Amino acid sequence: MVIILLFYFLALLQNSFFTHFNLLGSVPNLVFILFFLLVFFEKKKKNYLIIPLAIVAGLFLDIFSYTYIGPSIVLLIIIGIVLKKIQSLLKNREDNYPFVYFLPLFLICFAVYEALLMISLHFFDLSHTLINFDLRFAAGIVYSLFFAIIGFWIFKKHAKKIQN
Amino acid sequence: MKAVKDFSINRKKNGLLKFLIGAVALLFFLFILNIFASPVRNYFYAVSVPIQKTFWSAGASSSSFFGSFLQAGSLAKENENLKNENQKLLAEVSYLQSLEQGNQAQNDAFAACQNSGFRLVMAGVIGLDDNDVLSIDKGSADGISEGMPVINQQNVLFGKVLKVYKDFSQIMLVSNKNSVVNVKVQQSDTALPEIDGVVKGNGGLSAYLDLIPINDTINPGDILVTSAIEKSFPKDLLVAKVIQKEKNDQKPFQSAHLDLFFDVKTANNLFVITNYKQTN
Repeated sequence: MVIILLFYFLALLQNSFFTHFNLLGSVPNLVFILFFLLVFFEKKKKNYLIIPLAIVAGLFLDIFSYTYIGPSIVLLIIIGIVLKKIQSLLKNREDNYPFVYFLPLFLICFAVYEALLMISLHFFDLSHTLINFDLRFAAGIVYSLFFAIIGFWIFKKHAKKIQN
Repeated sequence: MKAVKDFSINRKKNGLLKFLIGAVALLFFLFILNIFASPVRNYFYAVSVPIQKTFWSAGASSSSFFGSFLQAGSLAKENENLKNENQKLLAEVSYLQSLEQGNQAQNDAFAACQNSGFRLVMAGVIGLDDNDVLSIDKGSADGISEGMPVINQQNVLFGKVLKVYKDFSQIMLVSNKNSVVNVKVQQSDTALPEIDGVVKGNGGLSAYLDLIPINDTINPGDILVTSAIEKSFPKDLLVAKVIQKEKNDQKPFQSAHLDLFFDVKTANNLFVITNYKQTN
């Protein structure tokens, strides 16, 4: 319940408050960041939680956009499962959640999410641009990465509490 | 041994079956959700309006505070006032130019029946998404329908209503990538004829001027107002100012970078024109 409220709060925050602090028209995708962090710091035994998390996060992302409800839910489920698979393939270190894993994984997952979302929007509405790797796309990634890194250190500090 | 093999095959089949059932259930859930998308969205927005309005106002005031702080003083507020005043003056200039160039009587009639005859619905801004779609707190219950033009108190065009729900609406801003607005370029020299062109959305709250014939002259500072060619918007609404033109002799048309007049950050209330006759 707390997580649902947190997703809702962040969805509202990114759609209203952060609009005034946009970077080249982009705002940080706080809902995606929280979803990514929850999946990244999830215990291996709790992989089944990815789907309800993706449904809640995707639902808020889609409801506060103007397109169909669904693309974000499906993409987050795929990204969550792939992320957990990649994490299980990566060599175990003393530190279970190293920053060197987090940074490239977040960048790749977020860029893939944004690109696939654009493609899906184009699929549903052909007048929508298929894909546009412009300065705004890059600004969106950098802006979100900034908040993701802050979130990473907060989660890392409280990893055990969050996992329980 | 055979039994173990069969067991593993069954487990694989079982996993695949579970996956297929899960995927079908998810797609069915999304299908149902999309059938009820309109009331679901309306419910969420209705519940969220007070919080979103608070966040919007907090964002506006803190952005203004940090802006002022960065600019050492009250420059931001002063700038905003000057901008508003400038837009009012530009609206007047635009109107006067229109009067001068056109038929006086016809323009008087137009002004009387259009500019003063607009029925406006005031709406509060509650959010903006990544695709330059703005949300307002008025919907079909207030007489708003899709395609209606949206302006501010200075007659600056923001865009048109994209989707309407019972208690809120989504506005496609002029800067949305799917937005195309027919405009005329008002030149500083009123003796010169007006030039027709289109403003196309670029995303990221920016747009550009396109389809200006290569032989026509546009200059930085020229004002763009809506034209009456396409009946989506009333004529002479302020749209943007030319910043820099881009001319390539190999292309039949020239384009230009624009400074859009609308400012989402300072727009707390907008007006939807509910009685303008539209073609789309």
